[in-house]
Amino acid sequence: MAAPKTKAPAAAPADPVTPAPPGAPTPGPASAPGTTPGKKEAPRTMRDLRLATESRRRVANTRALENPLREGLRLERVPDPAAFVLFGATGDLAHRKVVPALFQLWRTHLLPHEFQIVAVGRRPYTDQAFRDELRDSVRKYSRVQPVDEETWGDLAERITYHRGDFNDPTMFQSLADRLDGLDEDQGTRGNRIFYLATQPSQFAEIVAGLGRAGLDHEHHDAGWRRVVIEKPFGHDLDSAIRLNREVGKVFRERQVYRIDHYLGKETVRNLLVFRFGNGIFEPIWNRRHIDHVQITVAESIGIEGRGSFYEETGASRDFLQNHLLQLLSLVAMEPPATFDADALRDEKVKVIRAVSELSPDQVARDVVRGQYGPGWVSGKPVIGYRQEEEVNPQSETETYVAARLAIDDWRWSGVPFYLRMGKRLPKRATEIAIQFKDVPHRLFRDSATDPEPNLLAMRIQPDEGIMLRFGAKVPGLGVDIRNVTMDFTYGSAFQVDSPDAYETLILDALLGDASLFTRADEVEEAWSIVDPIIHAWAEEEAPGFPNYEAGTWGPEAADDLLAREGRRWRRI
Amino acid sequence: MVEAGGSESPRQFGDIIAVGTRPAGGGRIALADPPVPGEPTMRWSSTAHTIDEIEQELARIWAQPNLMIDPSEDGGGRHIAARTSVMNLVVIARQPEVGAKAAETISKLTGRHPSRTVVVLAADPDGPPWLDARIQAHCVLPRADAPETCTELIFLTAGGETGRHLSALVAPLLIHDLPVTVWWPGEPPLGAVPTQTLLESTDRLVVDASIWSGDGLARLRQLASLYDRFPRLSIRDFALVRQSRWREAIASVFDMPEYTPFLGSIRRMAVGYATRDETGAPGSTNVVKPLYHVAWLGSRLGMHPVAPLAPAEARGRTAPVRLRPGERPPMHRGLAGRMRSGSGDVSVVIRPVASPMPPGTTLRVEILAERRGSELRADVTAEAENVHVHTWLDGVQYMDRTFKAPRRNDVDLLGEALEVGGREPVAVETLRMAAELAGDGS
Repeated sequence: MAAPKTKAPAAAPADPVTPAPPGAPTPGPASAPGTTPGKKEAPRTMRDLRLATESRRRVANTRALENPLREGLRLERVPDPAAFVLFGATGDLAHRKVVPALFQLWRTHLLPHEFQIVAVGRRPYTDQAFRDELRDSVRKYSRVQPVDEETWGDLAERITYHRGDFNDPTMFQSLADRLDGLDEDQGTRGNRIFYLATQPSQFAEIVAGLGRAGLDHEHHDAGWRRVVIEKPFGHDLDSAIRLNREVGKVFRERQVYRIDHYLGKETVRNLLVFRFGNGIFEPIWNRRHIDHVQITVAESIGIEGRGSFYEETGASRDFLQNHLLQLLSLVAMEPPATFDADALRDEKVKVIRAVSELSPDQVARDVVRGQYGPGWVSGKPVIGYRQEEEVNPQSETETYVAARLAIDDWRWSGVPFYLRMGKRLPKRATEIAIQFKDVPHRLFRDSATDPEPNLLAMRIQPDEGIMLRFGAKVPGLGVDIRNVTMDFTYGSAFQVDSPDAYETLILDALLGDASLFTRADEVEEAWSIVDPIIHAWAEEEAPGFPNYEAGTWGPEAADDLLAREGRRWRRI
Repeated sequence: MVEAGGSESPRQFGDIIAVGTRPAGGGRIALADPPVPGEPTMRWSSTAHTIDEIEQELARIWAQPNLMIDPSEDGGGRHIAARTSVMNLVVIARQPEVGAKAAETISKLTGRHPSRTVVVLAADPDGPPWLDARIQAHCVLPRADAPETCTELIFLTAGGETGRHLSALVAPLLIHDLPVTVWWPGEPPLGAVPTQTLLESTDRLVVDASIWSGDGLARLRQLASLYDRFPRLSIRDFALVRQSRWREAIASVFDMPEYTPFLGSIRRMAVGYATRDETGAPGSTNVVKPLYHVAWLGSRLGMHPVAPLAPAEARGRTAPVRLRPGERPPMHRGLAGRMRSGSGDVSVVIRPVASPMPPGTTLRVEILAERRGSELRADVTAEAENVHVHTWLDGVQYMDRTFKAPRRNDVDLLGEALEVGGREPVAVETLRMAAELAGDGS
């Protein structure tokens, strides 16, 4: 059986802050945290102590509490004047996501007037040439079309290009001088955000360079400094710990914003509102009522020309370690005591810690990997993974992963969480499905259709929404039951465009709200789940790759994973 | 234009164009082409002349599942075309032109606006009682493979006595258990009995106090008194919502920890507003917007009025000035009052400034604070779509920031008003403080 990790026992019963178990008859889980009478006394555990000191620090840093005029202005808040330093500005991510998101924020007046973008890259550009290139990208990738030239012009004049090598200390010094100059001329007031949209291998180098040039220091009254780091954060547990250590040498944890863009998606954020803003779901959100949970991230696209990148990562590193486990933690976590960044992330870490680590035998039984061969997707023939560019023709890299994970805590004991992610599946869809238990007693035996157990599905993309399936009587004289769905689509109730995940996250980072960013310990805990899987796979040969045809729902073994327990993947 | 009679043209309301065929007696409109995702189309139109008939028509819309989807599309569980019921929206438009404008605003919100909208128009108040209703369903396809989302619109034109019994007209047409929002463009007779009856079953009232006639203050006092009379009611005033970026700009002055304490020792708040009146004499221009600024500041900072706003008297000048030919009369000094904060009195001034800007627009907010021998002066001004903040500490400028404040149109404001629910404490306290500052009008 699954062995709980030794370094951090799941849901330690000795911890006085641990909320009452959700399965207990009374009280409900939502009322449990924070009600322990002794909680306000002196800290008893290291965690208490850390929380106590952190909350003291938080108060000192949150101006919103001090300025009474801020009350009620939360939604209208414009970030402080700031310089946005974009490393890897000539790269794909910057062009496709970061700059279009900045443009959208600018367009909707959510950026301060005193805002400057300093793009750092190796290639030679003049400011104007670089702006022109960005304009083309914004025209192509902006989610609101057509792009208003005047608005773009306003933002473009705030963009400057800073050329240099990341391993050149003088580059960071000249960057520091340039930023000081902007504080003087453009009123950016010493606030700086460093956005690392580079190759992951350069993160440590850049952070070290920033440190050497003193760009990390938050002097008294001289503004804040923050660093935003893109995923993947490490490629295994060791490298993640190493990178955290390197970053930690320069920046304090509260200055570090690790992006997992899934957390910026509207439905993912809504998951928290859905769970903790409604009274009816939380009481049944436990092993008593839930049979199992399925989390699916299906992509119809292949690797999109990123062969060399994918060869090194594979689905488990690219998706399981971050997006899938993030979704799992949001579905399974206990209610946080407050909605502030650390309270939320404490709960997420706790639930990830409670996920059983898999032994090599368990990996062989409970984790399925797959790789797509040639096939048809959306009516078009596509090549197999091994035929993609920059891919080894004998590659054993997985493009599909399905896993059965167990969370060993009071709430979820015995409830399997099935996670799957694949490339070249029939359609693009991300969904969390909560399958409830069957009714205890079949009353309507004469019905032609058996009522299926209730199901709650939360679609994250492409059409964000929530669906509840239940049985209803077919009108007529007999008692026939048919399953019907109650479907809530975001687009139909709120026809306001949901912001892109990057817009949400960049704005949050500028406002200093780290709730939707992953903390160092979260990253490490997630790696400690994925690491044993990768290691076990390395020991064994891949199972006859390619083992699924492009345009199908993955290898058969993935179906067996559920079928052997009398379940099946949800048809999406 | 909205017609009072029963004849109809699908092009009347905004951009919604029904493209398709329509049965002679009214009813479902079959589309010639499949609907385009995101584009609302009118899918039902019929008329009625009594409330009972309207109810029957509404039931008829939903009795036709084909209006929404083709049941054969889905193999497994069947989609129920659930109305995404958010609320009832009631629009009281006394004049046809107000109704036409409101209908246009609402049509732009199809898909985003609530499940049932009732637009009430009054016609011929002295004639015999009559009722004419146009019932429409507008559907929008959120995406190609999704069931359509439909919303119902009922245009009621009430003649004679019928038009005065608002609640009796509207109440039977509301979807029960859903919140009721009343949008009253124009000048609502807040004190009148039919209004009060309607508000008894209302959750949210949406108005725009900045367009009320005169200085707008008498009606503003009535508006604030609704909070006490209807404990459930939340009020959303476009005038207050429009100023959000100003508030952001003003708040930013006191973000820095060393300047926050100055909030406790404000001595003077002065707001300049645009007027086109020759002298800007009190009563000539709507002053709700400038008043909201001081009311917001006062309520946030725990001040209370000790002397409500009254016309400011020119110091040392008693006799009226005799004007020479061609000379313009001097601008009035506006309204002045006093509030008390923990540390002393705060003088409040609302002063007219001759300006080509729309009358009543805030042009400048000045805040003066003194603390431990230091003087902080903040000057917030508007220019085109920008709000500028300049701040001086003992005469030395320490802050110069610009905030974009684009003018928001009614479509945005209404859309936002419909999505945000509940009483917002800041809005409640600001409106109450504004009414207190406005005094009793004597």
